[in-house]
Amino acid sequence: MSEALITVLDWVAILCIFAGAALSLVAGAGLLRFPDLLSRMHTAAKPQVLGLLLVLVGIGIRLIPVETDVFSVGTLFLVGFFQMLTIPVAGHIVTRVAYRTERIDSGTMVRDEMAEHIEARRAADKNR
Amino acid sequence: MSDPRQKRPLGLTALRRRLGKVQLPVALGMTLVWMLLFKGFQPRWESLGLLVLGFLVSVLIMLLFPLPPITPGLRFRPLHMIRLAAYVFREMALASIQVTIMTFRPEPVRNSMVAVPMRTESDLMMVFTAIATSIIPGTVIAEAERTERILYVHVLGADTEEAMEEGRRGVRKLEEGFVMALGTREDIAALRAGGVEKLGRGEKT
Repeated sequence: MSEALITVLDWVAILCIFAGAALSLVAGAGLLRFPDLLSRMHTAAKPQVLGLLLVLVGIGIRLIPVETDVFSVGTLFLVGFFQMLTIPVAGHIVTRVAYRTERIDSGTMVRDEMAEHIEARRAADKNR
Repeated sequence: MSDPRQKRPLGLTALRRRLGKVQLPVALGMTLVWMLLFKGFQPRWESLGLLVLGFLVSVLIMLLFPLPPITPGLRFRPLHMIRLAAYVFREMALASIQVTIMTFRPEPVRNSMVAVPMRTESDLMMVFTAIATSIIPGTVIAEAERTERILYVHVLGADTEEAMEEGRRGVRKLEEGFVMALGTREDIAALRAGGVEKLGRGEKT
C-alpha cells in the first residue's frame, strides 16, 4: 500500500476515534446534567453506542494496513454486534424496574401515556 | 402443552427428540461467531477443523439448552435491508447531535412517555423495532406490552404534542423498515392494512 494512502487512512481512523471519544464524553456529561433516571438512561446507553461503533471503525481502519488477517476486524465486528444487541436490553430492564418500583420523577415528565393507560385499565377492572 | 418434567423419555428416544429440536440456521450463526472468535477465516488447514468443531459445539449447545423455534421466521430482502441500515445510521448520527445539544442546554430537559401501537402481529418484528428504537439516541423502550402490541417509548425532550407525534412517527418508520426488510408476506399485509391507531390518545380503555 502506498505511503500517502496509509496517511489518509490514519487520519480517517484518528477522526473516527476522536469523534467516538467525544460522544462518550457527552454521555458522561449527560449523566451528571440530567435530573431524573429516565433521561439519564438515554445518555447512559445511547451516545455510547455510536461512540463505540466509531471507535471500532477507527481501530478497524488502523488495523487494515498493519495486518491482513481477518481475526482483528472480525473481533471488532463481534464487539459491535453484541453491544448493539445487549445495550437496549440493559436499558429496558433498568427503566422497567424503575417504573415498577415507582422511582420515576414525574416532575420532568410532560405527558405519560403509559401511566394513563395503566390508570384506564385499572378503572375498567374496577367497573367490571 | 404437557409439562416436560412429568414424563421424560430416557436414553436414545430423548436424544432423538432433542436432535429434532436443533435449528440449523441458529447453529450456523453460532458457528460463524465461533469462527470470528478463533481467527477462522484464514486460508489454512486448521480453519476447516475449526469449522467442524464450531458446528459440533453449536449443536451440543442446542442439545443441552433447547429453545423453541422462531416462528414464522425471516424473509430476507437485501435492498430494503440496506435502506433500513442507512436510515438507522443516519438517525443515529442526527439524534446524537440533538441529544448533545439537549445535554448542554441550560434549562432542564422535559420528556414524555409515548405509546406506540404496533401494526403487525409478529413478536419478532416487535423485538427488532424495540432494539432499533433503543439504539437511536433520544428514544428508549420502557415497556413492551405483548398482548396489546404496544411499545411504550420514553422520548427525550418531547415537551409538546408535536414532538411526541414526531417520536411516534420515528418508531413507526422503524417498524415499517424492519417489516419490509425481514417480515413475512402476512406482516407486510398487516402493515399496509393498519395505518389505524389501536390506541387513540391514551383515553381508550
